Amino acid sequence: MTTVLVRPRVHPRLHRVRARWGWGLGALAVVVWSLAGAGAFSGEVTNPAGTAQFGRFAAAALSPALDGAFLRVLADSVLVTVAYAALGAALAIGLGAVGAVALARTTWGRRRAGWTLARGALAVPRGLHEAVWGLLLVNLLGLDPWVGVLAIGIPYGAVTAKVFADLLDEVPRGAYSALLAAGAGRATAALYGLLPPASGGLLSYSFYRLECAVRSAVVLGLIGAGGLGYQLSLSFSSLRWEQVWSCVYALALLCLAADAGGRAVRRRVASPRASGDRLRRDPALTTAVAVVLAGVGWSWWYLAISPATLVSDRTGAQLAYVLSAAWPPDVDGPLLSAVATAAVDTVQMSVIAIAVATLGAVLLAGVAARPARASAGRRLAGAVVRLGLLLLRAVPPPVWALVLLFVLLPGVLPGALALGVYTLGVLGRLAAEATEELDPRPRAALTALGAGPVGGWLYGVLPAATGPVLAFALYRWEVAIRDTVLVGLLGAGGLGALLASRVAAFDWGAVTTVLAALVLLTAAVDLVSARARAALR
Amino acid sequence: MDLTVHAGERVAVVGPSGAGKSTLLGLANGSVLPSTGSVRVLGTDPTALRGRALRELRARVGTVHQHLELVGQLRVVHNVNAGRLSSWPAWRAAWSLARPQGLPEVLDALTRVELADRVFERTDRLSGGQRQRVAVARLLVQRPELVLADEPASALDPLLAGRTLELLAGLAVDRGGALVASLHDPVLALRHCTRVVGLVAGRITLDAPAASLTAGDLADFYGAPR
Repeated sequence: MTTVLVRPRVHPRLHRVRARWGWGLGALAVVVWSLAGAGAFSGEVTNPAGTAQFGRFAAAALSPALDGAFLRVLADSVLVTVAYAALGAALAIGLGAVGAVALARTTWGRRRAGWTLARGALAVPRGLHEAVWGLLLVNLLGLDPWVGVLAIGIPYGAVTAKVFADLLDEVPRGAYSALLAAGAGRATAALYGLLPPASGGLLSYSFYRLECAVRSAVVLGLIGAGGLGYQLSLSFSSLRWEQVWSCVYALALLCLAADAGGRAVRRRVASPRASGDRLRRDPALTTAVAVVLAGVGWSWWYLAISPATLVSDRTGAQLAYVLSAAWPPDVDGPLLSAVATAAVDTVQMSVIAIAVATLGAVLLAGVAARPARASAGRRLAGAVVRLGLLLLRAVPPPVWALVLLFVLLPGVLPGALALGVYTLGVLGRLAAEATEELDPRPRAALTALGAGPVGGWLYGVLPAATGPVLAFALYRWEVAIRDTVLVGLLGAGGLGALLASRVAAFDWGAVTTVLAALVLLTAAVDLVSARARAALR
Repeated sequence: MDLTVHAGERVAVVGPSGAGKSTLLGLANGSVLPSTGSVRVLGTDPTALRGRALRELRARVGTVHQHLELVGQLRVVHNVNAGRLSSWPAWRAAWSLARPQGLPEVLDALTRVELADRVFERTDRLSGGQRQRVAVARLLVQRPELVLADEPASALDPLLAGRTLELLAGLAVDRGGALVASLHDPVLALRHCTRVVGLVAGRITLDAPAASLTAGDLADFYGAPR
């Protein structure tokens, strides 16, 4: 006998994913809290008197200074910046290669304690911005080219070591284990079984670091290390807007060249040419590596760097003095409350920055992405937006802060918006690339059934792009909290400003406290961002 | 190639893969532009239209795509509602993502494809056959006059495949239009269509009323040396 069961009729209900709603509402609350803290809802924030000056600054964009004398100065500055970037990146990659061995799981095997300790030790160099390293090093070494090189090399070296170690750990174990089983030593097995599969990623990442180093070298120039950043701040403080714009365009070109070069190398690494029966190397890659090596040698000569400075008696004495003065850290009440207030300001600045950048990036990504088929007008709009984004990220955040101070009253808000504008340049490009990589067919299907551009974007692009773009935004928040310190160093408030004032007063005990707060804050932000990204997946 | 489909016809397009079946359907819904020759859809040349008028024409042509082209990250209800994007203003499309609009019609369409209990599921959590039925439900909500279907039955079991083709054919006939479907299964083609068009390498090599053909003829056509 068969019994037919009547299927109960269930009324479907809309279930929201609790975790995501929690993160979303939490993020909204933090943004509102940050805006309120920055005074966006209360009192005067704009400075109408500065509008005329801002107009003069903006108008100069069309007439950059192009006279021979200034162009020669500009060319020299570009060379100095490139030299710092090349040496800094070279040092970072060297440190990274050594550090990767100390950090890789492969080295530690099952000894988790050692591995955790090695990773934890990285939090200090990674948590401090290049500019902070610059500020500290200048007090140790005086005005020496080593300051710029080490300020880039130390934090970049720490990041590079972590990424290199991750790349090595992600290589499938099969070949390596087989070599070990065949009796090869661990080093030899790694050389044949781990390094070749990882080499593409390692090379790509090295060139990416070189691109980043160009930007960092400019920022270090702003705080006095020379080069394009220095020239930019000189022209700015003497109100020579035409020269400022020449510097900005030179910067944009430099960033564009670094970007295009890095991209070309990464593309070549990703799809190597067939070699056949003869040993053939890719000429483009060989040239790129040779040019970089020659560039590093030239930079050494051009900056007239001497290793003697690092081991001189004066440096040793200064280091001993600073270290003895810096310990124990200063923990009296007024300083701690100042640190807490500054930390809140720093968090609020970074949150406003990332909110502004994410909103802008989402709105612009659709236009900035290169569509497969498009009209001439659409192509032109895309090119204009992409150029605009390039200019936004070519100008370092402190310069944006100075520009915004024309029209905004001093405080947390101009610093936050400056950082937001700069981050928009970076995030807009990442979001556009994420949009380009989406499957175009769902949107094409919606167009084919008559959906308009907005409807097609809402249903065909937005749902698929939200995840990657939010993940990028959270990652950039980690970067933004470090950059907030940079904007602060130049006066916008927060932990950066506090640090700058304590260093200027040679109050090394307080400096240790502020640095510890900085490292803790960046580590906390990294943790929250990682959790939020996990909830998004 | 020269092909005219009249209102009320149900045309099965058959042929080996790479013969140009999808391209033919793409020409009809405007996602492929003709390099030479001309196309008239529902009496209008789509290449001559722009903006609003083009969107109105496109709203009258519904397509079930071979790879479904659904948005995996959206819930089923939104993927079905996407069939109405041509008539909805942008604000309503946006609001519907927060508060699903027109739920009764969506549930009705999903009931007809036996998927009403999954209305709020994320589309990428569904199986291949279930997704195919979501694509059909989108068409039921869109209510087009010309129904184009690219392998609409490829991921379905025979029973569901038959019912899906009936739905699509009924949809076209209700609105006084036509169905053009590319099909791999000769039995389905003969049972649900009135006319069979065979393509080989972009040329029409067979065009006959379904009544004059047998499953054996079509099997020969698929097996024909090319």
